[in-house]
Parts: sequence; structure tokens; C-alpha cells
Amino acid sequence: MRRLLAFLLAALGLSLAQGEKLKACFIYVGPIGDAGWTYAHDLGRKKAEAALPWLETRYVESVPEAQALPVMDRLVREGCQVIFATSFGYGEAVLEAAKKYPEVIFAHATGLKRAPNVATYMADFYQVYYLNGLAAGALTKTGKVGYVAAFPIPEVKRHINAFTLGVRAVNPKAQVLVRWINAWYDPAKAREATEALLAQGADVFAFTEDTPTVIQTAARKGAYSFGHYTPMQKFAPDHVVSGQIVHWDVIYMDFLKKVKEGVYTAKNLENVDYFWLLQHKAVEVGGDYGVPINPKHVPLLRKAQMTVGDKKVSVYERTMALLKDMSSPRPTFDPFTGPIKDRKGVVRIPAGRKASLQELLTMEWAAPGVVGDWPGEPK
Amino acid sequence: MEEALLRAVLFGTPLLLASLGALVSERSGVVNLGVEGIMALSALAAFGVALGAGPYLGLLAGVGTGVLGGMVLGLFAVTLRANQFVAGLAVAALGLGASGLLGKRYEGLPLEWTLPEGGMALLALFLAFSLHHFLYRTRFGLYLRSVGENPKAADLFGVSVDGVRYGALALGGGLIGLAGAYLSLAYRPSWTDGMTAGLGWVAIALVILAAWEPLRAVLGAYLFGLLFFLQFRLQGSVPIPSEAFAAMPYLLVILVLALSGRARAPKALGAPFERGR
Repeated sequence: MRRLLAFLLAALGLSLAQGEKLKACFIYVGPIGDAGWTYAHDLGRKKAEAALPWLETRYVESVPEAQALPVMDRLVREGCQVIFATSFGYGEAVLEAAKKYPEVIFAHATGLKRAPNVATYMADFYQVYYLNGLAAGALTKTGKVGYVAAFPIPEVKRHINAFTLGVRAVNPKAQVLVRWINAWYDPAKAREATEALLAQGADVFAFTEDTPTVIQTAARKGAYSFGHYTPMQKFAPDHVVSGQIVHWDVIYMDFLKKVKEGVYTAKNLENVDYFWLLQHKAVEVGGDYGVPINPKHVPLLRKAQMTVGDKKVSVYERTMALLKDMSSPRPTFDPFTGPIKDRKGVVRIPAGRKASLQELLTMEWAAPGVVGDWPGEPK
Repeated sequence: MEEALLRAVLFGTPLLLASLGALVSERSGVVNLGVEGIMALSALAAFGVALGAGPYLGLLAGVGTGVLGGMVLGLFAVTLRANQFVAGLAVAALGLGASGLLGKRYEGLPLEWTLPEGGMALLALFLAFSLHHFLYRTRFGLYLRSVGENPKAADLFGVSVDGVRYGALALGGGLIGLAGAYLSLAYRPSWTDGMTAGLGWVAIALVILAAWEPLRAVLGAYLFGLLFFLQFRLQGSVPIPSEAFAAMPYLLVILVLALSGRARAPKALGAPFERGR
């Protein structure tokens, strides 16, 4: 009798849950923190929940990769219908959980492998890094731009390359000095790596890691910098020029709406891969929302000239024109348009075509102008 | 070159302060494995107070929080005579967890007024020499060392073992608190969950490296700071993979530890004291 009652209650609960709300759950690899990767995902989660009245969310933070599967077990038991796994390292666990729970929908950020109930998604910055590279090339006086990078993986390499192509488009002799800190989150390493680059003469900085440390450190010595991932202008209002900002909410809302409408089910996600860019509004150029270039630095960038084709234009105009183009539904410009050689002289993208998605996702080569250790560089 | 030495000192400073803090309590016979947690909580307290009341009151708040952290460890390790290692680990976990929880609303805020790193570095150096003087040239220093070496004898001579140990933990906690405040007010003026990023554990290892001597702790901390900086300064200019460089400071510490085999820990280190046993 008691068991029957429990069953009825559970069934009632389930039907209520299905009738009213969609429960989406998020697994974060780090603490939500102040500015980094996980913070941005959580911002996306909150925005989606605020915008979609039928959505209920829950999150678990600081989940080590080895713990991902048990956490997913728990989330499924708690009634999560959609699970977003927001770290590359969760890949294997996601595929395993997807097999175990074929009725649950999974989405794996930065993932490469899909399944009938596993989609992959990514909001990519390579276009934004290129635009910021233009400004960096214009602003460096020493011809040395510093880049503090987390791990030598294709995603980070793609961003360094795009940035360097931008720098070199304005200043063909400039160098981008790269330092790997082998950590996503380690303020001390980011600080000392920046100090090392400052000591070597770098006077403009970009980075791919999860803290505003590079910005704070560069500003002490009066060096320019570009924020990463979230609005970071506030950490050095006079020295941040622009930056990369992500909008995961755009992807989360699109995906969840399609789940709600029944477009996406646990059976048809095999080919659902979001690789969203400027045109999808999944990423933004700027050190703050709605500020593509810090107004304090606009005059300098207006004065700086660059050659496009055989015409001279200001770096500011070029940046804004390309931003407009790449934000349009059908962009004509792409930073990785051939011919592009790597720093060893090997042709990586032939003349007359753009890099394919596959080429972007597996990029291991280093662009000309990149200086420094480059683990995994092809011979 | 000057740049490298400057970084050695400026990054060595929080390590030096934290290891002096761990050192002074170990000289009284209490292992302090809570450094990482006490440092994180102090960094948060310092930052939170500095936001509203300026960096110097923030600094005080950091030191105060450190003292409190030391006293909490004392409650378990001295008064309740719990296993010092377990108590220390508990304080570390508690401090990290509590700072993450309490610090949520401070994350991502910039700090307008920061502390000068150079001034803090001088202060740390001064404190190292003062601690040396205190341990070897004052009566209370003698009490502290004797409690760490032979608490029974010290007790017979009328020294309050528990009192001295509490004092050492409070003093050490204050120094660790200073290290935390340095991180959040000077080194990286902001607060984030987990911003100590393992420096507390390095500080504990440095105590052994320094053979429980404050002046050797200065050298150890600066050496670690130098190597930490050099891993980035040299990366790419010598044909050694960056991962090997990243391991360098830690490998060196292990190497020095292995070579300095004669270093002797305080005899009563880790043993709770109970009269009549």
C-alpha cells in the first residue's frame, strides 16, 4: 500500500514536472569565481532561467573530471532532463552517462564527440581575437605583444594564431611572445608570467586564462591589455582596450527552446554541434558590454594606419568594419582565409579558401610572429 | 637580472610570511597544516574590510583573522589534544570552504586602494629578523623553544605549555594572516575563491627546507620565488619544455630537502602535551 502510494506520488510529481517545467542542470569544473569560464556559464544559466519561465535550473560547481559520472547519476535521479557538462574533460563521462540514461539529453561544451542524446557546443572567440590583435598591433611601441596562455590545446592555439594574424596585419614585424602557465586558474602563475613578459619588453597584453591578473599586472607598468571571457575593463579602466566577452545564454536559450518545442530529442542530437561566433551573438568584442573599444583609446586607434589591399585605413575603421561584417548573417571576412603559412613556412590554409571547421578545431601550428615554446608543433 | 631578483622578493614575500607563521608554531611543538585555509580566510577578511575602510584596516583585519584561525587550531590541537595533523587539515579545509562561501559577494570587485608590495616585502624581512631575535635572544623565545623541545621539562620549570603554544599559534596565525592580506591587497588586489592556489602548502614545505630557522626561511622563500619567476622568464628561450620548467621550483625544494638531511625538527613536534604522562 505504502509502495503504491509512493509510486503514485512519484508519478504525479513527474507529470507535474513535465507539464510545467523543464529541468536543466549544469556541471561546472571550477568554483563560479569572479570572472572566468565557470562564471560565464553560470551567468548564461541565470539569464536563461530569468528569460524562460518554464525553465528550472540547478548546478553543481567544482566537479573534478573523475567525479563527473557520479554527479551526473545524482542529477538524473533528481530529475534533470537536460544536462550541460561545461568542461572538455567531462567528455568520456558524458558519453558513458548518455548510454546509461538514453532518455536524458546531454550537451557537452567544447566537446568533439556526439551521440543520439549528446550534442556539443562552443562559443568561439577566434574572430574577436583577430580584431583585438589589430588594436594590439597598433598600440605596441616595442613591437612585442605579450600573451599569457593556459594550456597548449587547439582552442588556445587557434586564439593565439588569430590574435597574431591581427597583430601582424597592422604591424608586420611585431612579435607575440607566448608564455604557457599550464593552468586555467592560478593567479600567481599568471602574475609572474606577465612580469616575465614585461621584463622582456612586451607592452600590450592578451591572455587566455581565468583571472584578471594579467590586466592588473600590466596596468601597474602602464601596459595595455585586452580582457578575456567576461567584462574586465573595471579592473584597469585606463589600460584595458577591449577584450573577448562570451554570451553562453544565447546558446543555452536556443538549445533549451528547441528541446521544449520537441525539435531536439534524446534521439536526434548526433549532428547537433553549435560553433557559434559573432554572427550568432554568442560572443562580443569589448572590455565591457556594449563597448567594443574603450573610448579612451579610440583616438589613438583612429590615428594608427594600416594597409588593406593597397589602401590606407585607420585601425579603428578597419576594426569596426570587420566587426560589422562578421556580425552580419553572411560574413565575407574570416581571419583564417588563405594563403596562410605557419611560422615554419608550411602552407596551412591554401589561397582562395577559409579554414574548415575541422581545421579550426584541430589547429596545432603556430602563425608567423608567434615567439616561444609551442608544445605539439607539427614538423 | 634585477627584475628576477625583484620578483624573487615580491613573490617570495607571501611565502616567507606564511612559512614564518608555520615555523613559529612548529618551534613550540604544534604542527600547523591549516596554513592554506587560514591564509584564504585572512585574504578574504582583508579584502572585505579594505573595500570599505581602506587597505591598512584591511591589513589589520587579515592579521586578526589569522590570529583567530591560529586560536581555533589551538582549541583542537592544544586544549582538546586532538591529532595535530588531522586538526590542521580540518582547519585548512574549513578555511578554504568558509572563505569560498562567505566571499561570494566580493568576487569580481576591483580594489581602488592597494598596499605597496615593496613596503610589505620590507616588513616581512624585518619580521623574519625580529622572529630570529625573539627566538634566540629573549626569555619568551627560550620558553617557546623549550616547550617545543621538551614540554615536560618546561612544565616542571613552571612554564605554561598550553599557554606558550596558544601564544605561538596566535603569533603564527597573525603572520599567516599577513600573508593572506598581502595576496588580496597587494599581490593580486581582488578576491576569488581559491586564490591562495596552494601557496600555503608550499609555505609548510619551506619550514622544513629552512630547518625551522627564520633566517633560512628568508632564503628558501626568495629562492622559490626566483625559480617560480624564472620558469616563465626562461620559457621558450631555452629548449626545455614548459612542463619541465613548471616542475622546477618544486623539484628544487625536494632536492634541497634531500641534501639538508641534518635539519632537525623540534623534538616534541606533533605530540600533544598532557601533564603527568
